[in-house]
Amino acid sequence: MDSFSSPTGSSSPFSTDDFMDKFKTQLAQAYAQEFLETVTGKCFEKCITKPGSSMSGSESSCVSRCVDRYIEATGIIGRALLNSSR
Amino acid sequence: MDTSGLNSPELQRFLNQEKEKAMVNEMVAKLTNVCWDKCITGTPGSKFSSSESACLSNCAQRYLDMSVIIMKRFQSMH
Repeated sequence: MDSFSSPTGSSSPFSTDDFMDKFKTQLAQAYAQEFLETVTGKCFEKCITKPGSSMSGSESSCVSRCVDRYIEATGIIGRALLNSSR
Repeated sequence: MDTSGLNSPELQRFLNQEKEKAMVNEMVAKLTNVCWDKCITGTPGSKFSSSESACLSNCAQRYLDMSVIIMKRFQSMH
């Protein structure tokens, strides 16, 4: 699981570039996962009001729209924060 | 593993930048979470109404204003 050490434990020099790449990748993955969990929670709340024995067509399309809107909301908030930090 | 590269200024700079970026990301995520609940009251549509998008943008800015007010209040309590 430790992707920052070499598999054989040999004394290869620490590669800064390699570390930075792996670091960014893992951080991005962690963010993606957190985002997915948040969106899933929000959209379940908004769209699945009475869970039935299967997902209805209107529930599925609500979820699609909800995901798009949440991504859009993230952009709106991000831009508002950028514009205000002057 | 030869860890002599761990002290490099380049790495320190990188980690500081990533830390700042992470803090901004966290802030955006938290605000989106909170402002979504405040502003998107009905079923999500195929686009935001103008009042919904205005609400989201206002929400972020008012939250920031409020943080400043709270900090000042705290500081004045010494």
